[in-house]
Amino acid sequence: MNGSDVGASRVAPTGRRRRRRTRVDWFLTALRVSMIALVAVGLLAFIAQEINPDNPFARWANPDATGLTGAQFRGLVISGIAQGSMYGLIALGYSMVYGVLGFINFAHGEVFMVGAMTGMITSNKLADAGLWESNFIGSLVFIVVVSIIVSSLTAVVMERVAYRPLRGAPRLIPLITSIGVSFFLQNASVVLLGPASKSYPDVPDWVKAKHTFLQIEGAKILVIVVAALSMAALWYYVDRTKTGKAMRAVAEDAEIASLMGIDVNRTIVKVFAVGGAMAGMAGILWGILFRSVIHTTGFLPGIKAFSAAVVGGIGHLGGAMAGGLSIGVAESVGPLLILEPLGVSGVSQLRDAVAFSMLIIVLLVRPAGLFGERLPAEDRA
Amino acid sequence: MKRKLLTLLAALFALTLFAAACGDNGDDATDTATAPAATEAPEEEMDEPEEEMMDHLGDGSLGVAEVDEGEEIQIRSLNAITGDVAFLGLPNQRGVELAIEHFGPIHGFGVDIGTGLDDLCSADGGQAAAQAIVADDSVVGVIGTSCSGAAVAAAPLITNAGMVMISPSNTSPALTSDLAGTAGENYSVGYYRTAHNDLYQGAAMAEFVYEDLGLTNAAAIHDGDPYTQGLAQAFADAYEELGGTVTGFTGVNKEDTDMVPVLTEIAAGGPDALFFPIFQPAGDHIAAQASGVAGLENVVLLAADGLLTDGFLELSQTAGMYFSGPDVRFGDNTNESTGRTADDFLSEYETLYGGAPEAAFWAHSYDATTLLLEAVEAASYVDGDTLVIDRQGVRDYLNGVSDYSGLIGSISCDEFGDCGAQRITVIHHEDPNDIATSKANVVFEYP
Amino acid sequence: MSSADSGTASSAERVPLLEMRKVNAHYGAVHALRDVDLSIYEGELVCLLGGNASGKSTTLKTLLGMLKPTSGEVVLDGEVVNDRPTSYRVARGITMVPENRRLFKRLTVRENLQLGAYLRKDSDAIAADMERVYELFPRVKERLAQKAGTLSGGEQQMVAIGRALMSQPRVLLMDEPSMGLAPALVQQNFELISQIHEAGMTVFMVEQNANMALGIADRGWVLQTGRVVLDDTAEALLANPALRTSYLGGGKGNDEGETAADDAG
Repeated sequence: MNGSDVGASRVAPTGRRRRRRTRVDWFLTALRVSMIALVAVGLLAFIAQEINPDNPFARWANPDATGLTGAQFRGLVISGIAQGSMYGLIALGYSMVYGVLGFINFAHGEVFMVGAMTGMITSNKLADAGLWESNFIGSLVFIVVVSIIVSSLTAVVMERVAYRPLRGAPRLIPLITSIGVSFFLQNASVVLLGPASKSYPDVPDWVKAKHTFLQIEGAKILVIVVAALSMAALWYYVDRTKTGKAMRAVAEDAEIASLMGIDVNRTIVKVFAVGGAMAGMAGILWGILFRSVIHTTGFLPGIKAFSAAVVGGIGHLGGAMAGGLSIGVAESVGPLLILEPLGVSGVSQLRDAVAFSMLIIVLLVRPAGLFGERLPAEDRA
Repeated sequence: MKRKLLTLLAALFALTLFAAACGDNGDDATDTATAPAATEAPEEEMDEPEEEMMDHLGDGSLGVAEVDEGEEIQIRSLNAITGDVAFLGLPNQRGVELAIEHFGPIHGFGVDIGTGLDDLCSADGGQAAAQAIVADDSVVGVIGTSCSGAAVAAAPLITNAGMVMISPSNTSPALTSDLAGTAGENYSVGYYRTAHNDLYQGAAMAEFVYEDLGLTNAAAIHDGDPYTQGLAQAFADAYEELGGTVTGFTGVNKEDTDMVPVLTEIAAGGPDALFFPIFQPAGDHIAAQASGVAGLENVVLLAADGLLTDGFLELSQTAGMYFSGPDVRFGDNTNESTGRTADDFLSEYETLYGGAPEAAFWAHSYDATTLLLEAVEAASYVDGDTLVIDRQGVRDYLNGVSDYSGLIGSISCDEFGDCGAQRITVIHHEDPNDIATSKANVVFEYP
Repeated sequence: MSSADSGTASSAERVPLLEMRKVNAHYGAVHALRDVDLSIYEGELVCLLGGNASGKSTTLKTLLGMLKPTSGEVVLDGEVVNDRPTSYRVARGITMVPENRRLFKRLTVRENLQLGAYLRKDSDAIAADMERVYELFPRVKERLAQKAGTLSGGEQQMVAIGRALMSQPRVLLMDEPSMGLAPALVQQNFELISQIHEAGMTVFMVEQNANMALGIADRGWVLQTGRVVLDDTAEALLANPALRTSYLGGGKGNDEGETAADDAG
């Protein structure tokens, strides 16, 4: 049914299947192509430059490029993975709440900040008592527990006070509310703890020193390992336990879930609590790695974690972690790997831009995210 | 179709984030540099010179401010008195208050600063406060701002209104000149400062690194703020002038925590020294992460007065760093208007406020205020019961300041409003557990 | 009402398993149920017939506690459960196979069945019930690890019934079991229901397809604009011309319905 008889059957099924390309389509295609071309040229220039610094292609792209040594490249990747695993842990909370309630809880970044602040207060108290130095691992476990409790409680109270009364309202309303909650938590932190940045106590040398294994700092190994364990625990919880199944059931169809005898409200509370716990865990890891927190600590990591959740496919837990890692590595490696060889100056200031470009590229190529399932619309009715 | 549009919207949203992320730095300066031009100077009533007029400076070309009997001469303090940099702004404002008290009445009229205003250490804050100030045409001069970023917005508004502005702690070269006869891009006639020009600080650090430490490769990192950008640039220029090689010059975002990428970018050039004249908390992270990046294991870390705070010096990773800053060894310098020394000021400050000032620019603030009051005295006369202050006369006085003795040393103003003593020192910070010793451990003096 | 009484004479002394007494329910300003009386006895297969928007789904929601009645009582096994949440009622033996099956499509078939037994703690009995479902639907056993969304319509119907059975219900509510299925499957589906009923399950079915439903049911009601207009045995209803005019005729308006109601009374 091509060609000649199209005019005769304007409304024929063929017409519907081969939809006319709109201007939006052309624009999106152009955007996709140019984004991918940019990344490809940058990468190629980088590779050319690594093979031979005087490679004409590399010279053409950026005559001043210096290239990276293997150790530097490895350092970037590891630092990106460490940063990305924290984004991933935070992203889980965004993704889970979106899964059950269908709205983005923008205050989730602040839950992470609350976790980091709690860790700061607790660890300094332990340091005053001399326990931080004498029993670092024990102290670490203790601050993790306290921080997880506090941030879970924060998330649960937030749900109870700010979001539950809005259940059933259009999604935009809890979303705007969550921005309000976010400001509230930031300002509460200023009021309670002051506006200056605050430090974690000094960590033992083995945490700061590089280890023979891949030349990674102890803190980064700690962050990556703990994040992986937390993720595994969460996966087990959601995939294997009864409560986890209930969460997934509520996420898919709350009405039918309640028909199974699942208490939907309690399940939602648990989702907030678990998301809060993951954010609290990320807060502690942040404190151990960077050792400084301020009331705005949650903002940028929060936005990036949200991007990570979208990149991975919002509602998908593995996707959230993968999205976090990809954004972490992209913003760490991207400026020097893609932008520097292209001759962009001051590339390190563009790391946030790289992180968000990653979001744009993924949205353009796979609108549902890396792992997002595209279910037909009626399935979510 | 709907899905496509959603995708497009999502992409646009992401682009906005992108733009916000890129535009975070430097914007402030450009936004506000153009904005104030729209504000017209209020038309002052031009008084014809009268016969019985007393001898005073000024030709009346900018109009006058009149103070009736029973009223007070109005000046303002515009400093960063809240937020992260309150440690800088509060001592500045207190310096103004004490200077007014010590100076005493002018031709029998008292001086009032109203309520201390806040520049929020930002262009927006500077602009908002400046608008409030110029709405009151009885104001003659302003002591402020604390931050260069705020001054960029405030200075054009205030000086266009015929008032003068004397900053105790702006150091950006853009606000005055390049010291070679060219006005900075943000210079306004009627702007003065008692703080040093960062070209001197940059030159001091460059000379120290190149000549005293003998290092020939150095890199610099700023955070996009006019102050940090100006100082890092001043350092880089002076260092190359001396014969050193600048192996890297780049920026971070103020909120960045993971500094490995930026440090890797810097490491690619193989520097021996790294100068990062920025603030906390970004400075904390650079100091902590530098030695972990391949190629920077033995790099010498250098910072400036923005990080010369107790909170930073206490951090273990700062051991061994060098800091440049204004020379704060005021000794027995005496302010010629009030006869007070720095010691007198400090003991009075401690009695009043229960502790020593946290930042060094209180002395600059004190001197800035006495200079303004001297200028008002020289440019005013009593007409019947009214004190008449010639606004141009105030500027004439300040333009002519030469070898004025202040707490900070000998003060002379150049043609672009730089009046600072321009004395810079570099200290070596050896022990984070003994900050007081570090602060006094001067290893280099400039000039 | 005489005919209805005679139809259930044998169970007249017994307490109904599930009952609605003069129930009124509203959706906002819409008066969805008007003085509805229903009683379902243990072991029965009964059906509620009605056209679109006649209040059939509302009846189910009210029985399950997803909608609170504005007046009247919902009685489960002799207990007034008006203020009890769905989970309580499910625990007390009531469950539903929803319209269009509504499986958790992203969960596996096994997980769907497990969720059916969500409120139960007796893992041995759960395993035994699982086996019973496999016996009933051997196809389901083959698909256990598959995501429910990947099954065919007929298989999904089996899983939906299996999931409902996993809660060990005493009464099984079925919302429009013929909805969205191919005609051959509809036939098969009613056979399934009949089979479950014969195995001893009490079934309350809501349907539009009166002929099919009454073909397997013991008794039935006809609902029109929220009011019960006919209440009789299945045979009597099939034979009743009022059913044809008021309901199978396509629900042409209130007048006929009112007449039918009068006739029934």
